[in-house]
Parts: sequence; structure tokens; C-alpha cells
Amino acid sequence: MAGHIALRQGTAAPQSRTTTESPVMRWLLIGIALTFLGLMLVIPLIAVFAKALESGFALYLKAISEPDALAAIRLTLLTVAFAVPLNAAFGLAAAWAIAKFDFRGKNFLITLIDLPFAVSPVIAGLVFVFLFGKPGIFWPWLSEHGIKIIFAPPGIILATIFVTFPFIARELIPLMQAQGTTEEEAALTLGASGWKTFWYVTLPNIKWALIYGVILASARAVGEFGAVSVVSGHIRGSTNTLPLHVEILYNEYQFVAAFAVASLMTLMAIFTLLIKNFVEWKVNQQAEKAAIHHGQTEDNHEY
Amino acid sequence: MSIELAGIHKQFGSFAALKNINLTVPTGELVALLGPSGSGKTTLLRIIAGLEQADQGSILFHGQDTSHYEVQQRQVGFVFQHYALFRHMTVFENVAFGLNVRPKNLRPSAKVIEEKVHQLLSLVRLDGFAGRYPSQLSGGQRQRVALARALAVEPQVLLLDEPFGALDAKVRKELRRWLRQLHDELHITSVFVTHDQEEALDVADRIVILNQGQIEQMGTPEEVYEQPKNAFVYNFLGNVNLFRGRIQQGRVRIGSLEIEAPEYAHHDDSGSIISYVRPYNLEIERSGHGQEYFRAKIVHIRAVGPTAFLELKREDTAELIEAELLKERYRELNLKIGETVFVKPKDLKIFLEDYCI
Repeated sequence: MAGHIALRQGTAAPQSRTTTESPVMRWLLIGIALTFLGLMLVIPLIAVFAKALESGFALYLKAISEPDALAAIRLTLLTVAFAVPLNAAFGLAAAWAIAKFDFRGKNFLITLIDLPFAVSPVIAGLVFVFLFGKPGIFWPWLSEHGIKIIFAPPGIILATIFVTFPFIARELIPLMQAQGTTEEEAALTLGASGWKTFWYVTLPNIKWALIYGVILASARAVGEFGAVSVVSGHIRGSTNTLPLHVEILYNEYQFVAAFAVASLMTLMAIFTLLIKNFVEWKVNQQAEKAAIHHGQTEDNHEY
Repeated sequence: MSIELAGIHKQFGSFAALKNINLTVPTGELVALLGPSGSGKTTLLRIIAGLEQADQGSILFHGQDTSHYEVQQRQVGFVFQHYALFRHMTVFENVAFGLNVRPKNLRPSAKVIEEKVHQLLSLVRLDGFAGRYPSQLSGGQRQRVALARALAVEPQVLLLDEPFGALDAKVRKELRRWLRQLHDELHITSVFVTHDQEEALDVADRIVILNQGQIEQMGTPEEVYEQPKNAFVYNFLGNVNLFRGRIQQGRVRIGSLEIEAPEYAHHDDSGSIISYVRPYNLEIERSGHGQEYFRAKIVHIRAVGPTAFLELKREDTAELIEAELLKERYRELNLKIGETVFVKPKDLKIFLEDYCI
């Protein structure tokens, strides 16, 4: 009987491994992890809100509702509104091409998608300055037509797109590769058009991974500092995003205001994290379903 | 709806998957494309479906050239080896899919679709499963959903790619019998791909044997089994013993064995041959003489079921051969491992060496 119970506990696989460690070791490891987490994450998080609310709630509200702060919020949201959908479209197209077709240079394309992960954001910003800025390649043509990219929102959006480029594609490629193309082929033989196949078969299968990618890309788009800092020009009320606004306030010793705006971003981050966790849970559920779906050969005896 | 293929050629890089395939599938027949893996059988099926384009040649459905039709226009039902059910849809939604994606003016009403789906589900014996997801079904059930889904659009032609390949032996046998029954009810022109000769012999009206992108032989199961055109076909359709020998003026010499081969009497040159004998065509005797027997030692006996399987080692060439004899005969002879017996091959199929694999 006892053996039976032990066996049943054993099926919860990850648990059984930790229980083999001695209790002292276990508590020591958990303790170290929690201390580290507290020092590096929880205390700074509390500090942000403590500092922001130091001089009262009224001042806090004033700091985040003054025109420059509102302009920064607006620009940040505008950037996200452009960068994320564009990257979602690109990510879908790239993942589709990589997962469903075989072509020359496929590995090169995968490496290229990862490039923004490897390159420092500052360099990414400088590249855009070099392309569209005053000494840049396209400058003569741009100035002739009165188009402003660097030190203007278009430059900020471009830099953000570059930095958040891999997030969605990276989420989709492995999933789409694992799912293969047979469901799409089945839809085609049943008379569905290419568009209907995408809409009713492909998209529902990748829905949660896509949302997960969008969340990661959005979080990064809101928080991006380096690349945006280079192309923005820091014009108050016009080309400042939230992170840049925080930096300016801080440099001007307006600590309460700086932390107030920072706390706003922190709230956004926590909110994204919550959604991310929910989606992650959903994605895992879907992955399990896919795994069951794929392990078809094992469970066909009960016909 | 008949299918005619003429001069189909398909190349993947430097590999010729199909070479000049000419094939006619008569209306209402169930045809098996049989061949080892890499023989091009699946590629041929996908070309018929329009999932793959042939480099050369034409495909005619009922006399009409469909070579340049898109998949959607061909009106084929395709059943995939791994079912390819839409995993996020219920069984009902899967079966209804083909009707639901039709343009508005061609789409039946929701009520008609519902009736049709339930009718199909009862045809594939899955009433009551409409609300389940594919992951909640067994392999055999999934494949029947896939079949119902393919039939929902009333295809002109039903194409099945190793439909029972991923199922275990028992389910496979039940399901293929059932497919045969279903085909006899619906009379829809069907082509199915398999590498299992037993499956092909069991259910097909006609078998097309493919090897290395070419058709080796076509015919009814009896034809291809009883009158194999060449060594490959004979070898592929069931267990065989292989004997190498030489032929001279109509006499075949295999080790100590000498046999008349009148069909090669006109063949003057001496040459090497390969001959095949099915295990049940090897006669075992306690004593024998003459050139039609050879001596062999019993190395292994498996006497489970109505037949006994013997593994024997020829004394002249030391090659291992397999024999199959009825249980009564086996008991009568009272055979033991290690004993030497006389073996007489009956119905030897002889192929000249250059025809061989």
C-alpha cells in the first residue's frame, strides 16, 4: 500500500528529483534565491514606488499628468502601435516562410532575424543616424522632400522596430516547424482558399505563441532606451519617450517626478508580466495538446 | 470518375522520383499503389491530388485535363497518414470544414451541414463523438474522422496516403476491411498508398507496384501474386527463398539441383539466373533421390499455429532457407532440430540475372 502511494507521488516527475536533496541543501538554495530576488528586484521595486509617492499622491499625479509627461506617454504608445503590428506582420511572414518552405539561404535568414539580439542598441541607433541623419546616405533626398526621420518620431519607430524585430518571429518559428504543413494541405484539399486556410487553420494553431511574442515585443518597445536615445534628440514634449523622459527628469534632480514616471512604467511592466504568465500557461497547455496530438501512434489501441 | 496519368515525370533536385508513369484508374475501383519507401508512390498520389506538380505529363480526370488545376479545383478527398485533423476544432467542426469554407453562394445552410456531418459520423461509426477534440480520440478514431472529413465535400476521387500506417496491426486490419466495405457502398474511385503487401492484396481491386519511380507491374491481386512479371515483384509480394544458379539450354543448375526450365529453352547462352521459391512450395521428405532434391539440415523450428516454419541450411551451398509446411505433415515427418532432410522445390520462378534487383 505504502509502495503504491509512493509510486503515485513519483508520477509528479519534477518534484521527485528535489525531494532527493537533503532538506538543509534545499532550504539553503531556496534562501539564496529568495535573498537575491529580494535585493535585486523587490527592494528596487518598492523603492520606485516609495520615492514616487514620497511627497504625496497629489504631487505624484501632477508629475505624471504634466504636458511633457503626457507627450512622452503618447509618443511611447504611438511607437508601440506602429512597431508591434509591423513586427507581428513581418514575424508571421518570416516564420511562415521558414517553417513551411524549403529555400536556399534559409539558415542565413534565421541568423539575420537574430541580429538585433546580438547588436548593441546604441549601434542600432547609430546605423539609422548614418542612414537618415544629416551626414547620412539618404539625407540629401530626405531634406529635399522635407521628410524628417532622425530627431523625429519616425526615427524612434524605426529604431524600435529594429530592436524588437526578432521577438515575434522567434516565438513562431519553432512552433510552426513542429506543426508542419499537413493541416494546411488538408484544408486546401477540402477546397479552402489560401486566405481561409491561413485564417481558420494556421492562425488558430499559432494564436497563443503570437500573442506571447506580441507581449514580449511590446514590453521591449515601451522600455527601449539605447537605440531610441541615439535617434531621438531628446526634444521635450516632442521626441521624448517614457524612458528618455525619466532620464531627463533624473538628470535635472527632479527625483520625485522621475520616479513617478518610472513607477508608471513599472506598473506597465507588471501588468505585461501578468498577461505574459497567463499566455505562457495557455501556450504550455497548447504545446501539451500538440504533443498528445503527435503521439498518436501510442494511444490507438482502444479503437 | 476515372483517372488517367500519362507520362508523369517528377524530379527532386538530381533525384528522379517518378519516371514516365502511365496509369489508368477505372471509375469506381479501389487501387493500391504499392512499393518500398522511396519508390515514389506518395509523390504520385500527391501529384494526383495537386499537392505536388509533375514536371512533365498530364493528369486526366474523366477525360478532362486537370494538370493545371489548383488543389481546390480538383475535388479530391485526401486522407493523410498522420490524419492531419485540425487540432483546435472539434470532430464536428473538422468534418464540417470543407462545407463551411465554401463561398457563400455555394455553401449549404447550417442545418443541412449539421445533418450531413451527423450522417457522415454515423457512417464512420462515430456518433456521439461530435463534440470531442482530436486529442481525445484514439488513432483509429482519428483516421475515421479524417475519412469523414474528406467525404464531406463529396469528392470525385478519394486519395489515401498510407491511411493505416500509423496504427497497430489489429486496428489496421479491422480498418482496412471496413474501408473495403465502405468502398463497396460508395463506389468512389479511390487510390491508396501502402508499403504493406498484405494490405494491398487484401483490399485492392487492382495493385500498381512501384519501384524506383517506375511501375513494375499492374494487375489484380491474383495476377501480380500468381504471375509476377519480374524478380522485384515476386520478391516484394511475400516471403521468398532465393537461389542463385546458372542456366544452359533450358536446364537450370542450382548447387546440386538440376531442373528443366522449358521457358528458357530458346536461350542458348549459358548465364547466371536468380530463382525464387515461396516457403510453402518447398517439399520436405525423409528420403529422396534424383536431381530435383537437395539435402539440408534443420536449424530452427517454429511450430505455432496451423503451419510449421522451418529454417534449413543447405548442405551443398550452406545457404539458409525457409520452409513452411502444414502441421499434420510436420507431425507425420516427426522432424527434429539437427536432422538432415531432403528438400524439393516446386514452382520455381526463374529470372535471368539482368532482370534482377
